[in-house]
Amino acid sequence: MKGDEPRGAADSLDRARSGDRVAFATLVRSHQRVVYSLALRMLSHRHEAEDLAQEVFMQLHRSLAGIQSDTHLLFWLRKVTTNLAIDRLRRDRKRATLPLDDDPGIADEPLESDPLLQRRLRELLALLPADPRAVVVLRYQEDLDPTEIAETLEMSLNTVKSHLRRSIATLREGLADSSVTPLSRDSL
Amino acid sequence: MKTFTLKAIVALLLLASLPCERALAADGRLLLPDFSALEDKASEVVDVNLNTALLGLAARFLDDKSPDEVAVKQLVAGLTGIYVKSFAFDGDFAYPKADIEVVRKQLSVPGWQKLVEVRSRKEQTHVDVYLSLDGDKVNGLAILASEPRQFTIVNIVGSVDLRKLHQLEGRFGVPDLRLEGKPPTVK
Amino acid sequence: MNTPLDDELRKALRPVDPDEGFAERVMRRIDSTPAPLQRRPRWFPALPVALAASALLGTILIYAWHAEREQQRQGLEARRQLIEALHITGEKLDLAYRGVNGETRPPAPDDTGA
Repeated sequence: MKGDEPRGAADSLDRARSGDRVAFATLVRSHQRVVYSLALRMLSHRHEAEDLAQEVFMQLHRSLAGIQSDTHLLFWLRKVTTNLAIDRLRRDRKRATLPLDDDPGIADEPLESDPLLQRRLRELLALLPADPRAVVVLRYQEDLDPTEIAETLEMSLNTVKSHLRRSIATLREGLADSSVTPLSRDSL
Repeated sequence: MKTFTLKAIVALLLLASLPCERALAADGRLLLPDFSALEDKASEVVDVNLNTALLGLAARFLDDKSPDEVAVKQLVAGLTGIYVKSFAFDGDFAYPKADIEVVRKQLSVPGWQKLVEVRSRKEQTHVDVYLSLDGDKVNGLAILASEPRQFTIVNIVGSVDLRKLHQLEGRFGVPDLRLEGKPPTVK
Repeated sequence: MNTPLDDELRKALRPVDPDEGFAERVMRRIDSTPAPLQRRPRWFPALPVALAASALLGTILIYAWHAEREQQRQGLEARRQLIEALHITGEKLDLAYRGVNGETRPPAPDDTGA
C-alpha cells in the first residue's frame, strides 16, 4: 500500500484540480501538519497559526491549476506559508513574544528530551526577526538544506547561510543567558 | 401584290411611329442627335445632361441662404431633366444645319407648341422657343438657337413653371420674356 | 555534523498537527468565501474576430468617405452644369426677347465695332 501513496497523492491532486472537493480535503489532510507547524513556529500562536494555515489552503484552492506535482505542491505550501507568516510578522511587530499558554507540544515532548530546553529554544526563536526565523524553521523543522531554503524564500544562498550562522549563535547565547532579551534585526 | 405589301409595311411603320412621336412630345423630352463629330470642329462646347437624379443632387448643393439659388431650387423641383448642347465655332456656319433640322422636326409634332420664333436676317440668327403641353400643363421647354458661329439646343423636361422661370428674371441672364402672354412671331 | 543544539532544535521544532477537524474548517471557509472573479485570459479569444470587424468597419468607413466625397464632387459638378444651363437658357431667351422687341444684339465685349 505504501507504494501507492505517491500515485494516490497525484490522483488527489488531479481530482482536486478538476473540482473534486473530497480530493481537495484529502490534500489538506495530507499537508496540514507541514503548513500548520510552519505557521505555528513562525507566529508562535495557535489561533494565528490556524488562521494562517487555513488562508494558505484557501490560496491553494484558487491556485490548484498551477500546481504541477505533489513535490511542487509541497514546495508551494512551504513557500506560501513562510511568505504569509513573514508578511504578518512584519505587519505586526508586537508578536515578538510567545504566549506561554499557547506553547504547543509540552505534553507531547519525548521522554528523553528536556521540555524546558525545548520551550526555551522556541521562546528564543520567537525573538528572531522574521527572515532568520523562517530560515531556522525550514532548516530544523522541514530539514531543508540551505539551497532548498534559498529557493523557498527566494534568498541568495549566502544570505541563508548567514542567517543560519547568526541565528544559531543568537540561540546559543540565549540559552547560555539566564534571562531572555528581545533581539533586534541589527544584532544579527 | 408587291406594291401593296410595301405600302402596307410603310403604313404600319408610320402608324407605329406616331405614338412614338406623340410619346416624345408628351414627356417634353427631345431625342438629340449625336453631335460628337462636331466637338472636334467647335471652339467651345457646352454639353449639359442632367437627369432627375443629377438634378436632385445639384439641388442639394444649392445654397439655401442665397435667394437666387433658392429660386433655382424651386424651379428645378418640378423638372425631370435639363439637356443643353451648345457649340461655338471660329468660322460662320461650320455646323451642319441638317442636325438642327432633325431636332426641329421633333418639335413639329402635336404636343409641342411654338411660343416664340425670331428670325433676324441682319444678324442671321434664328431662335425658336417651344413648349410641350400635356393638356394645359407645360411639361417641357425647348429652345433652338442658331447663329452664324454658334448653335444651341436647350431642352428642359418636366413641369416647367413659367412663373418660376419668370422669377429668375435678371438672374442667370434670364430675361422677362412675357412667357405667359400670347406667342409673338417676328420675321 | 550535527551539534547538540541542532538536535535540540529539531526536537523543539518537530511538526505538530493542528486541532482536530482542521480540514473540515478549511473546507467550510472555502465554501463560505465567494468565488473570485475569473481572471480574463491574457489572450482575448475573440481578438481575431474583433480585428476582422475593425478592419471591415475601417474599410466601410473609408468606402463611405470616398463615396461621400465622390457624391460631393458629382453634386458640385451637377450644380455647375445646372447654373451653366440656366445661363445659356437665359442667354437664348434674351436673344429671342430682343428679337421680339426689335432690338439688336449688344456688342460683344471683344467686339470693337470696326
